[in-house]
Amino acid sequence: MSNKGQIALLALLGAGAALAQDVPLEGRVSINLGKDSPVALVGMSTGDSHSSSRGAALVLDLHMALTLRNTGSSRIHGVALRVVSQEVTVGGKGSVSIPSLNIGPGESFPVRIDMQLMRPTQVAGGPLVDVNLDGVLFEDLSCAGQDRLNSCRTLTAWDLEAQRDREHFKRILAQAGPNGLRQAMLESIGRQSARPQLDVRVTRAPAVTSAAFGPVHAEQFAFLDFPDSPLQPSKGSAQIAGNEAREPHIEVLNRSARAIKYVELGWLVSDPSGQQYMAASLPASDPALYLPAGKTAIVEQDTALRFTRRGQPVNIQGAVGFVSRVQFADGKLWVPSRADLERGSLVKVLPASAEEQRLNDLYLKRGLDALVQELKKY
Amino acid sequence: MKHPNPETLALHAGGDLGAMAGWRTRRHLARCAECREEVARFEQFRQLLPSLDDSQDVHWGRLAAEMKANIRLGLAAGECVRAEDPAGAGPIWSFARVGVALASVAALLAMGVVLDRPAPTVARETGVVVQATADGVQVREGGQSMGLMHSGTSRDAVTYQVGAQGSVEARYVDSETGYVTVNKVDVE
Repeated sequence: MSNKGQIALLALLGAGAALAQDVPLEGRVSINLGKDSPVALVGMSTGDSHSSSRGAALVLDLHMALTLRNTGSSRIHGVALRVVSQEVTVGGKGSVSIPSLNIGPGESFPVRIDMQLMRPTQVAGGPLVDVNLDGVLFEDLSCAGQDRLNSCRTLTAWDLEAQRDREHFKRILAQAGPNGLRQAMLESIGRQSARPQLDVRVTRAPAVTSAAFGPVHAEQFAFLDFPDSPLQPSKGSAQIAGNEAREPHIEVLNRSARAIKYVELGWLVSDPSGQQYMAASLPASDPALYLPAGKTAIVEQDTALRFTRRGQPVNIQGAVGFVSRVQFADGKLWVPSRADLERGSLVKVLPASAEEQRLNDLYLKRGLDALVQELKKY
Repeated sequence: MKHPNPETLALHAGGDLGAMAGWRTRRHLARCAECREEVARFEQFRQLLPSLDDSQDVHWGRLAAEMKANIRLGLAAGECVRAEDPAGAGPIWSFARVGVALASVAALLAMGVVLDRPAPTVARETGVVVQATADGVQVREGGQSMGLMHSGTSRDAVTYQVGAQGSVEARYVDSETGYVTVNKVDVE
């Protein structure tokens, strides 16, 4: 190649690299909190956000720090933001939620959003990312926001779990004093660090199962039945092939006196050694579910879940189901009690609630006195 | 890693590769997500094409008959011009012939051994995939993806929860804000 040709090629490569790096992030993120929002945006920073090219794709690393202020008159207990990139993955969306808040009127709080987008290099105009306020939960469990992701239900369930777990630790403090609380915290932290986690990949479209997964069989669910649960799971199965499980479906009976509009089950799996893992939550697929008292319904999903641990496939040999969340037609929610979780050693397999995770972190970083003071606030 | 060219991947997607090339391609695909996605795209594209098979412009029956006639004609012409076989005059088991025969048998055996080994099977995925990544949760489809990251937090400090409807959430205590933060990605 001649010198001129080499120079032209280098110039072309340089220009390509420069174009790939030159994606202005200003104005490419749209924040929409909605009219009459109970929170206001008082600050926003895009920090060290940057873009880089990877082959024919453009990778955008967005690091945003938002500062929101409670402009309402009630204390805020949780916030959920819906994050959508319309140009990437048809139907793909995300959310960033902050549960276990306790923000008074006029107080501000930070929300961080760290995102990575991968998209073709052809850059179109308009925002790359839309951030919308999906839900704000108040102290009295009332909720505001677009609620397109059912954030109000999720935030309410988290708040009920937070109340339950704070009560649990306050009871220990009252009965066994600070040393008893310290012991309970250490046990909780130990449980979480010992809890086995699986890596799970969920595929929405029908996957092509290869012979590597082995023969498919229908694994019947066993059930943990909580006496105070409004629902009773009766029978169900999932298609299992090696480390892949698909099409779980479970029949449930509404044994309460109230109609139910949302059901979510927990799904545990076992490996060949008998070790149990939390596999997934199994929400009802019908968004218009209405289950009158005394009637049954099927909870099912048509996805495929593939389980690995430390990069190795984990073959599935057992399935256990339990009721983890119920919403009645009047909007009230039911979550398992602490006694339910401790029955059947579920507490060893399930992740701690967001509030227990927060209290653990508080104890580790600020000590027992700070934890005791925190519990006394409620 | 050297990738098969697009033509090879397209032939593989259609099941049109020969045994050896097919085996080599399957071995590569077992290790290469990028090429698996390429094959998946070819397969999706093929699903759009069946209507072309019904093209009324090509008369396959007539074409086949013409090809058969041409082959017969060629064979007949070959018979007319074939000289007497000179090989019949020489020794049947010359060293060269024995060597070639043994080498062929050895090659055949080696090929049999290679082909008899269990070839890595390829699990192909199409559609939207939701999963946890090294430092976040991600939804992706084809070559595009969107992920919410938990930068600055070690993976061990993150609690992952999966929704069978197609969602993954990562819950952690943000080291900067001190708040429990839940990042979740899912499909519509």
